[in-house]
Amino acid sequence: MGETRLAWRNVWRSPRRTALTVAATVFAVFLVVVFVAMTRGVHEKMIEDSVRLSSGHVLVTAPGYLQKRTLDEFLVLDDAAVHTLDTLPEVVGWAPRVVSFVLLSRDVTSRGVAVMGVDPARESTVTTLSTRVVDGHFIRGGSPHEIVIGERLAERLGASVGDQLLLYGVAYTLETAYDLYTVVGLLRLPDARLERSMAIVSLADLQEFLVFGDRISEIAVLAESSERTGALRDALRRGLAMLDSRPVFHTWREVMPDLEQLIVLDDLGFYVMVAILITVVGFGILNTILMAVLERQRELGVMLAVGLRPAAVFRIVFLESLMLAAVGLVFGLVLAVPTALWFEAHPIHVGGTMAATFEFVGMEPVIVFRLTSSTLWKSSLLILAVAAVAALYPALKASRANPVDALRTI
Amino acid sequence: MRSGAHGRRIAVRRLRPLLLAGMGCALALAAAQGGAPAETQGQSAAVPGVRGPGLSLEAVPEGLDADVLARRADDNMRSASTYFHGRMTVESPRLATPRSITFESWEDRGGKRSFVRILAPPRDAGTGFLKLGSNLWMYIPRVERTMRVPPSMMLQSWMGSDFTNDDLVRESSEVEDYDHRLLGVDPSVEEAPGRRAYVLAYVPHEDAAVVWGRIIAWIDAETLAPLRQEFYDEDGEKLRVLRFTDHRRVGTRTVPFLWTLTPLDKPGHRTAIEVLEIRFDVELDESIFTRRHLERSDRDG
Repeated sequence: MGETRLAWRNVWRSPRRTALTVAATVFAVFLVVVFVAMTRGVHEKMIEDSVRLSSGHVLVTAPGYLQKRTLDEFLVLDDAAVHTLDTLPEVVGWAPRVVSFVLLSRDVTSRGVAVMGVDPARESTVTTLSTRVVDGHFIRGGSPHEIVIGERLAERLGASVGDQLLLYGVAYTLETAYDLYTVVGLLRLPDARLERSMAIVSLADLQEFLVFGDRISEIAVLAESSERTGALRDALRRGLAMLDSRPVFHTWREVMPDLEQLIVLDDLGFYVMVAILITVVGFGILNTILMAVLERQRELGVMLAVGLRPAAVFRIVFLESLMLAAVGLVFGLVLAVPTALWFEAHPIHVGGTMAATFEFVGMEPVIVFRLTSSTLWKSSLLILAVAAVAALYPALKASRANPVDALRTI
Repeated sequence: MRSGAHGRRIAVRRLRPLLLAGMGCALALAAAQGGAPAETQGQSAAVPGVRGPGLSLEAVPEGLDADVLARRADDNMRSASTYFHGRMTVESPRLATPRSITFESWEDRGGKRSFVRILAPPRDAGTGFLKLGSNLWMYIPRVERTMRVPPSMMLQSWMGSDFTNDDLVRESSEVEDYDHRLLGVDPSVEEAPGRRAYVLAYVPHEDAAVVWGRIIAWIDAETLAPLRQEFYDEDGEKLRVLRFTDHRRVGTRTVPFLWTLTPLDKPGHRTAIEVLEIRFDVELDESIFTRRHLERSDRDG
């Protein structure tokens, strides 16, 4: 169409100015896409790491458990509930657990820890705990009186694989509970605090130790990805509504509010950066198009004088702006996508103080990238929208030019 | 105005004494010296740092000092060396019948040492607790193990009761962490109808590492025996109430023979300690407060 061709030619009338604007756009697109990919990647990794260390995407508990964490808040799984959990398509993995605070001691040295009773087979469908054993092996199912503890906890207790530890606590029946467990493995975890306080025994052992019957404290459920968390929770809510113990369903956001806050804070900084970049690009485009319009007053006047409708002039100028942005966008994506994909395949391993920072918040010191199609089309739309907004004023100005005045200028 | 260090020596010790000392220091709560001088205020005033309805109190007679009162209340419940024999009964919605535990304890007040031996039930018989200063050791005869109870476990239940390990060992020096004020005189205390009680507020110093935000104690105006203690968190929320009833004469002292602890955040839970025997100023053998004694499975004093 004529208008499009005209607009395209106009874009390249002042190649240097156009090139500069395109370069700015390319730069902005590149930064936005790569940074979105990095931020998303890091956030997803944070969530996955945390979720696969502890709560799953959704944690099912009795009311009040998250606040009190005592044996008073328990669930009982019946066959129907087990069947539901096994068959719901949203459930990728699920693991029942008992958690209690106990005293763990070797000789005279002792530590207060949260001991977790797990079913090893089920646990491995949710968490990566069993793969994090660096010495020895993970506990077996049944009632083997085996215990796996964090490496740092072992260090503090002076315990190593093969040692016997005394577990001391208060049973559900309010009797004192004590028993000896053999250390069969040591866990290395990205979260140092967790590693200092984690102890795992078999579900059956802990239920017996606490005289807890077939009660459990929590069920960790894994979704396909963190984006599916909401869908998983809704499905569980419908599927487990019949449980007597009136379960409540917490997403990882509620279980790990610190993580949620960290991500929100991080996102906020990121949005500010994107806003600045986009504003700069917007003004760049505005400047280029406005200059082009002002330079072409006479020409536009002629066009209007020979009968071109103002609406057509508006469209031409508007198209110029979009084209400018589109060219920048294409080149930006051509640079950004391979870069992001390359980093996605080759995560950055950080070291030094940076690594310490990562570990402090419980993450592996790795920067992962994650490029999604939604990132691409959202960034594209954003750039085009900015270009469209930036074009409004010059396009209006051009279309409203008075032919007589315009012909007189210059 | 704060009284000098001399006044602080006897501090309040919450319940620890109960268990360990068997007697009272804690009871007495009394003491945190260092309080402001008695203020005469009265009438239904809200207590600072405490939520809920104010107390309807009468003004305090002139010349009463909160420090002195607290120390005397403490002295009433404790002596330099105290023997205690008691039965603890734990009630809970989890239990069809209450669980009961009998124990004996010896306290050397000046040495900040105490020793507790569980006598029953059979499962726990012989279990011992040795407190030396701020350290708490526990011995379990069934597995022949001794362990030191770490600070992180201090707020956990003691023997399944509503008392915590912290109640057992709170260090006496921590008493110095409290200021106390005389709030007024309560003309009618629920625990002892017809008796008048001084009401004392214990306020921890800013930098003190203590569990409670406030403790309010009712002390019999005549005998200085404890009648009631209420424990508040830092937000002024009442967390538990310890009531003292069945007051009896023991020598020159008046001592409550039934202490009932009600945690307000755990409906249906209650722990009572009945005094079976209490003796003041007893002879204490040095060997009581040793690891060797702790690890003896037979259990005579």
